[in-house]
Amino acid sequence: MKPSAVWMCSRIEHGILHCASLFTPGDRRAEWMREWRAELWHAREASQIDEQMTWSGEKALLRFCSGAIRDAWTLRSLCAENKGPRAAFRGSAAECLLFLFVLFAASYLLSQMLPGVRAEIHPSLYRVNPNLIMIQNALATNDSLATISLERYETWKARPQRYFDGFAFYRVARELVVPRPGARERWKVAHGSLNLFWMLGLPTMFSAVSDDAVGRTPGVILSEEVWRKDFGADPHIAGRLVHFGRKDVRVLGVSPAGVWRLPGDVDAWLLEGDDANRGVGYVIAHLTAPGRTAMSSDRVEIISLNSDDENEELCGISFAARTKGPWGLYQFAVFLAFLALPAITSVSLGESQFCSYKPSWTNRVFRWLFLGAKIALLLPTVYLASLDLAYCHTMTYSVGAQYIQLISTFTMGLLGLRWIILDQQNRCPVCLRRVTHPAQVGLASRTFLAWNGTELICTGGHTLLHVPALPTSWFGTQRWLYLDTSWRSLFVGSGVG
Amino acid sequence: MASETKLSHTAALILHAIQAGFVYGFSIMEMTGLPSGTVYPAMRRLERDGMIRSHWEKQSIADAEQRPPRKYYKLTPTGNTTLEGARKRYPLLERLIPSEEVKQS
Repeated sequence: MKPSAVWMCSRIEHGILHCASLFTPGDRRAEWMREWRAELWHAREASQIDEQMTWSGEKALLRFCSGAIRDAWTLRSLCAENKGPRAAFRGSAAECLLFLFVLFAASYLLSQMLPGVRAEIHPSLYRVNPNLIMIQNALATNDSLATISLERYETWKARPQRYFDGFAFYRVARELVVPRPGARERWKVAHGSLNLFWMLGLPTMFSAVSDDAVGRTPGVILSEEVWRKDFGADPHIAGRLVHFGRKDVRVLGVSPAGVWRLPGDVDAWLLEGDDANRGVGYVIAHLTAPGRTAMSSDRVEIISLNSDDENEELCGISFAARTKGPWGLYQFAVFLAFLALPAITSVSLGESQFCSYKPSWTNRVFRWLFLGAKIALLLPTVYLASLDLAYCHTMTYSVGAQYIQLISTFTMGLLGLRWIILDQQNRCPVCLRRVTHPAQVGLASRTFLAWNGTELICTGGHTLLHVPALPTSWFGTQRWLYLDTSWRSLFVGSGVG
Repeated sequence: MASETKLSHTAALILHAIQAGFVYGFSIMEMTGLPSGTVYPAMRRLERDGMIRSHWEKQSIADAEQRPPRKYYKLTPTGNTTLEGARKRYPLLERLIPSEEVKQS
């Protein structure tokens, strides 16, 4: 054989050993590999004829190495048998609760890493002044549409008002921005009145300018998303000049993720004089005391005179719906999931039994506590996981994210509750372990007992579970058969109490 | 109790080979003619059941002979007792490994 062929065969043989070693338990793998490498060396020595390898010798070595796979699998099986505590843990109530806790911890950690979720979870961040409303044309089909022209806004601002003592205006447009030399980005920019942030009372980060200065000086407030993406989360961003369209503007600060709850998914807020704003936008109005009295619901009709002294139908919309946070939506979706649960699974916990034996009250209490613990772990997991899904791609509040949250909460809640019920139905009422080793009842039973189903057993030796394959009038649901102490001898080696 | 332990023919053959002085896996394979996929798993089970125990050869000995160190197997007292019982059950066992080939373990 050529040396290259021998080298190739040797690589293949070591590759087989390496692959087989993956079956062995991690703590035994190194020693197992050491033994097989040594054995392979001796096998190779024995296969050589006149210190030369032959094809038949290589074939024998390959057969030798293939035995390593079976050996590795045997070692794995033997180690699994020896691990008594692990075997006892498998299928137990503790394993189930640990699994749910791990899911909860994972969703919580993920939520802490996503700024959008962090902002949603802490509603204090986006609390908007309750004396503010948004004024919109009454014909608008939803509150996300911009309907008020700058001229109308300026007319209202110039006239004395009974119900309002302050106005702010903004419109959303796409702008070409140069955040740093050589980089050109298209941002969604809210062109707002100088008093927009001041009136809304929104917090800004790294702001080196006082509120008064914000009112006087045109500048830009960046969203946390573009601050991280385009400015590398620079904490000294305040005061830097950024090229917006045809002018340079000064960065006033950064708006934390999630605080902007008004219409428009905005990358930056350009605060400038109203004379620089042209187009249709949104008007925010601050209510006077009579205005607060008149604003009795989330949406009120407003009649206003336009420039031709004709009545114009408007409406005032409160921000309550936009600042409720995700909790109300979550409660609604979970309520729907509980309502829909009986439609997709039987909500029976499978308590019926063949014999007259009654489980002790402590067993029954633990069974209900276990069910409660599972639900208590599932519900916060669903809450956080749905927020993770809704805000994994965006840092700001949006109606689309709310839809994702609603649908994912309902879906995960429904499937999670279904899993909890099915899991509960398959747990031994005595030790709360999952029943295992399903055995299909055979032809004899079908013929002579008119019963067809599956029998499962508790590995602790407490119960048998009979599940009918075809529910009948006398055997419609699963039943438990409690085993007496004469069965115990069969389960001595199971490691389960 | 140990002498009453029932061994398969293969396990008895491997125990016999180890007692005869074939004390590492490949030599047992050569002696018994059994494939590696049978010999090594059987030795794992025998070790688990306390019939044999293993130890690694000293590195210095292996270095002196310019080869990797071997993992040696040795019968335990339980293994010896069980093998005696197996010999009564499988009388032909003695003939598979001729007495002149038996080495001092």
